[in-house]
Amino acid sequence: MPGRWILLFILLWQPLAVSAADNIYLKELVEQARQKNLAQRPEWLNLLHYKPYPYRPGMRSLADDPAFFNSPHGKTDAAAELESTLAVFFSTAEETDKTQNPQCRFIARYHWLKKELHFDPARLREQSCKRFDQWHAALDPYQITLVFPAAYLNNPASMYGHTLLRIDGKGQDERTRLLAYSISYAANTDETSGLVFAVRGLFGGYPGLFAITPYYIKVREYTDIENRDVWEYQLTLTPREIDRLLMHVWELGPIRFDYYFFDENCAYHLLSLLEVARPGLELTDRFRWWAIPSDTVRAVAEQPGLVKRVVYRPATATIIRRRLADMDDRQSGLSRGLAERKVSSTDDRLHGLPVAEQARVLELAYDYATYRSASGRDTTTTAQMHELLLARSRLEVPPQRPEVPVPVVRPDEGHKTSRLALGVGSRGGRRFEEINLRPTYHDLMDDDGGYTRGAQIEFFNMKWRHYRGDDSLHLEEFTPLNIVSLSPRDDFFTPVSWKVNVGWTRKHFSDNDEPLIFRAGGGSGLAFNMPGSHEGNSVYYGFLEAELDAGKQFDRNYAMGMGPALGWLTNISDRWRINLYARSLRYGLGDAHNARELTLEQRYSLNRQSALHLGLHRKQEFQDYRNAAEISLQYYY
Amino acid sequence: MLNKKLIVVALVMAFPVGVMAAGAAAPDASGGCGVGSKLFENQRGVAPQVLAMTTNGMLGQIFAVSSGTSGCSQDGVVKSNWKTSMFIDGNKTKLARDMSTGSGETLESLAKLIGIQDQHKAAFFQATKDNFSRIFASDNLTTDQVVASLKQVLAADSVLAQYTQSI
Repeated sequence: MPGRWILLFILLWQPLAVSAADNIYLKELVEQARQKNLAQRPEWLNLLHYKPYPYRPGMRSLADDPAFFNSPHGKTDAAAELESTLAVFFSTAEETDKTQNPQCRFIARYHWLKKELHFDPARLREQSCKRFDQWHAALDPYQITLVFPAAYLNNPASMYGHTLLRIDGKGQDERTRLLAYSISYAANTDETSGLVFAVRGLFGGYPGLFAITPYYIKVREYTDIENRDVWEYQLTLTPREIDRLLMHVWELGPIRFDYYFFDENCAYHLLSLLEVARPGLELTDRFRWWAIPSDTVRAVAEQPGLVKRVVYRPATATIIRRRLADMDDRQSGLSRGLAERKVSSTDDRLHGLPVAEQARVLELAYDYATYRSASGRDTTTTAQMHELLLARSRLEVPPQRPEVPVPVVRPDEGHKTSRLALGVGSRGGRRFEEINLRPTYHDLMDDDGGYTRGAQIEFFNMKWRHYRGDDSLHLEEFTPLNIVSLSPRDDFFTPVSWKVNVGWTRKHFSDNDEPLIFRAGGGSGLAFNMPGSHEGNSVYYGFLEAELDAGKQFDRNYAMGMGPALGWLTNISDRWRINLYARSLRYGLGDAHNARELTLEQRYSLNRQSALHLGLHRKQEFQDYRNAAEISLQYYY
Repeated sequence: MLNKKLIVVALVMAFPVGVMAAGAAAPDASGGCGVGSKLFENQRGVAPQVLAMTTNGMLGQIFAVSSGTSGCSQDGVVKSNWKTSMFIDGNKTKLARDMSTGSGETLESLAKLIGIQDQHKAAFFQATKDNFSRIFASDNLTTDQVVASLKQVLAADSVLAQYTQSI
């Protein structure tokens, strides 16, 4: 070992007393490890978070923190790291509140190497790890649960969902689960700008750290404040596997992994913990390019015998909707009045109701007031909320909280997140074939079982087309980003719908001139449930949209316009959905012109992973009107 | 090379301090753990929604593993003597809601923390509901006030009096 690194060890873990006798045993252990080729075993590589490079052969550790390695070459040389790790295990440094003996600091490695090399306690003394033992005892682990807060409508960056692990203690049950601890992998930042976060996050601009948090804080964050339904997948890890996982979490303590929004994100790193816990699980291999939390949940659910049970925890808003479904308009109106301070808790209209109904009205009013204040509309003061609770506590009836039915399709059971479509069509009398590849994730027309209804998020959607008689396939459309949030409003919930998209598309200047142009568009609007429909089964909407087209074919190289869009998105049956919309844009700036469009889209699901899609369009750009129709077979993978 | 080593050492040394500052749970003047401090203040408005997107980025809520002692936690887990008050502090509004109906997971969890035996749970739930106006006498109580009044309510009950010291 080079002398300067010994200096580092002395700095970090003084005193490092390596006697001559230890050295002999160390040599023996190193020799044994080499013979058994331990450094290339998956268990060891997992402990070091070694992963193949995406672009070239070879492996390196994803950990970006030198403190995680005992060898200066630890990030790329697993054997050197193993041998240096064996060396530091001879340290007799006492544990303090700030420092640990290497055997404790790298406790998962220690126990694995001890088992593989049969450490002789007389020659390599085992150190006690009091801090780890206390920590382990406080967690009192019984079970590990993978927690998936689903997407949260109207918040683009959460549309992917999120994952964390939960350590369930002995003696906890579903009613006392708040007392568990969660393990999450988080970008360590106080960046409050979503855009800055997203951009820097793409390029590993933040340090990521594993953290442990009381679960009640996470529940507050997700189900109460953000209104995300949470899915809890209880895993079948054995006590031994759980210990391995916890030892490794301990080892990861303050270790920094650069956070990458797409691939090395929360979901990816949590899977790697499960791989350490249960050797032989191969969960992260398929996520070399990106890891979507719902896909990682699917990866776990697909492992035979890994999931024991799934529990659904509805968000506050979901509970409110359920309460509303059980009430008549007069009662819900009263609840709203109470929450909005228009009705007093001593009002006769309330006291005229049977006691159980009074309780229901008050409970809903309180939940709704909580929801309102969490979303920033603090028209209800805490004093008034307190009034509601006081009034409720005086009613001698059992709680009226409704049972929220568990959604039929779980997040791991929905359609897969990549989609390939092959289609044929005709436009302006010319026939064409088309390939559409959407790497991720979900659009308004896809079956939304397991997804959040009304949340569309697509990345890098690509479409190639070949017209009959042409020699070649050409790029018809490339849309790196396309997000739509369509959230119906009602008396209780008043969200604004919006959309944003950026990409390249073909613009029809004339029959022989259809160049690829750059387009950035967006809009905001309102959506409503059709009378009589519920839960977003049938929604009509209106947007005000703006679009910027740019390309050298335009006069002055651009055209910018705006105009209205109206539409109706409805399910005809469980399998059959249609979206009918019309848009009219007046491009008033740059190359002035008009664009109009009338479209009917239909999707019919053949099964969960395939569907037929039919599109009928009538479009005007500049002067010409053209009709188009296409049919495609979509396959999710 | 030496610079890099110094950075490593500095990181290792600085980290627990950073976490303490971030957690806003540093020991307060009375030697406690700062329960009632900013950490659990009711979040509202647009800021939490924007933060929500980072979901992964709520610095204020990171408890680092194996980072040593900070005010209320040891290596990331809440010290046992702070468990109950920290729980009440972090769940005050939900606890109030649960007590108003005498049911719910927040109240169940509190009962578990206090160590209420199964046969006394119903009595405990009923007592919190009946005495809601005493336990939550107003809308802006400190955690200490809630704990004190809850103790009084338990002390006044012949069966539940045995749990007074467990809070």
